[in-house]
Amino acid sequence: MSDTSLSHHQPLEVRFRGGGFAPRRHRWIGAAAFVILIAFLEWATQSGVITPLTLPKPSDVLATLVELWQSGMFVKHIVPSLTRLAVGASLGAIVGVGVGVLIGLFSLVRAGLVPLVAAIFPIPKIALLPLFVIWFGIDEGSKYALIAFGTFTPTVVATYGAVDNVDRSLIRMGQSFGLSWFSIVRKIVLPGAMPGVLSGLRISLAIAIILLVAAEMLGAQYGIGAYILEAGSLYDLERLFAGVVILSLLGVLTSTAIGMIERRVLAWRS
Amino acid sequence: MTYNRRQTLALMGAAAASGLAAPAIASGKKPVVGALSLTSHSGSFIALERGYFKDAGLDVELKFFQAAQPMAVAIASGDVDFGVTAISGGLLSLAQKGAVKVIGGALSEEPGIEGQKLLASDAAFEAGLTSPAALDGKRYGMTTAGSSFHYMGSKIAGAEGGTPQFIPLQKVGAVIGALKSGQIDAWSIVPHIAKPLAGSGAVHIIGNVADYLPNYQVTTVFTSARNASEERGLTESFLNGFGKGVADYNATMVDKENGDAAIDEMVDLIHKYVYADRPREKAAPSIINGSMRINKDAAINVASVTDQLTWMQTEGLVDANITLETFLDTSYVDVIGA
Repeated sequence: MSDTSLSHHQPLEVRFRGGGFAPRRHRWIGAAAFVILIAFLEWATQSGVITPLTLPKPSDVLATLVELWQSGMFVKHIVPSLTRLAVGASLGAIVGVGVGVLIGLFSLVRAGLVPLVAAIFPIPKIALLPLFVIWFGIDEGSKYALIAFGTFTPTVVATYGAVDNVDRSLIRMGQSFGLSWFSIVRKIVLPGAMPGVLSGLRISLAIAIILLVAAEMLGAQYGIGAYILEAGSLYDLERLFAGVVILSLLGVLTSTAIGMIERRVLAWRS
Repeated sequence: MTYNRRQTLALMGAAAASGLAAPAIASGKKPVVGALSLTSHSGSFIALERGYFKDAGLDVELKFFQAAQPMAVAIASGDVDFGVTAISGGLLSLAQKGAVKVIGGALSEEPGIEGQKLLASDAAFEAGLTSPAALDGKRYGMTTAGSSFHYMGSKIAGAEGGTPQFIPLQKVGAVIGALKSGQIDAWSIVPHIAKPLAGSGAVHIIGNVADYLPNYQVTTVFTSARNASEERGLTESFLNGFGKGVADYNATMVDKENGDAAIDEMVDLIHKYVYADRPREKAAPSIINGSMRINKDAAINVASVTDQLTWMQTEGLVDANITLETFLDTSYVDVIGA
């Protein structure tokens, strides 16, 4: 009896339901969002819904960018800015990652430096700019210092957080298998902390770009930040937005670069 | 239609307000006047303290700014009604966009009255920057491109055949710090700031701006384009009150017609707004030293203003299509030097 009743049942179909919120790549949606926004602004400024006092025409901003490129001033502005960004941010990021790893690994360093970092973090670095000018000079020194100081603290915090979050059971396993301390750090702690460090760097580098404008407030004749500030003081909205577009592109580029590093360095995750 | 109590009160208020506003002179209006904490703004301070604005039917509120540029933007945005500040590239651009209009003149360089000074840092002075002739290639401080400092430096050095490098430092305080510590070589500023600086020994006075830019119209009175064209009553009332304040200032502080007691009294008045963070006995010499002529009845020197516009256009700081008519409304005050 029971046999026959069972044979009547179809085998229960169990679908795979554990897909989670897996992100998928939508290539063109991001671009479309930009296009729609810019097209709307172009229409609104052309038709006069938005006055020229409020926003410039996107087409005029584009023309200004082309002009900037053709006059050769683009290179003159971007080279010092990229140099400041590269020197300042790498200085801040390298020292930041180093200090962050040390805090993560050694309790003594942690006890000493975590309160110090917490004390430095909320200081508005821009407020210290006049001081940096006296310490490091009005030329490149103070600009490197400001950007380095600004990227240092978020990098430290992200790095020691990432080291803390490395899977403890992996470390215990390494210890059970008799790996040396150095081996554990090199093979388990550092690769395990890498995702956190890289996402911390995304934030630090965005802060570096923000501070670039601040750094170029004092005594910079050339640079994208100086260009934006000059346009602002002349109330030249086309040039102001042209500079802002360049900064945004810089942000997208650094973010893409970190994305590429992530895919390479974190290939072990997939 | 029924009204609740609050709506009725609002209606009554509106009726009262429109009744008050009806007379030809804009009585009871509350215009906001922008100012910097400099003696060159004394016209507004005196007119407010001595009730000249009130006599003209205005209940003026002063709003203070750190630099000329934000004040121009605040007028464009409608947060401030009248301002007194130097003609800057930003002001001209805002005028071109139809937001602001210059309606009168204020601070002027005048032969025979001490005006703005050219300063050199101690290090640059020791290295040979002892006169404006040596400005070529030197680091000249300015707040922003297109500011009055940029204009003065370029004009003075240009008259001697030189071209300095212009270093933007955003704020007057930052320029002073950079000059004292020798980070920049030269700068020019009104006498009430220049003299105490030179007295400290960290900087040296190496020339007078008036020698190169005689009758330079340093600051102007400006307002929103809407006030200039549609609120004539309000604008005339403001200029009326402001003009009385200026007349008192010139008579007492510049021409010294009223004796020392009057100077003392006026220093007390100005000290409420300028150097208010310093004790009076320390502030008084600076305030007295800084007495430059403010144009009578806000007359404007069109020749000087034209020269400033031309300079900005040749430097590529503002659009070449801007004309005098774009930013200047001469229907309110006398024109001099045309």
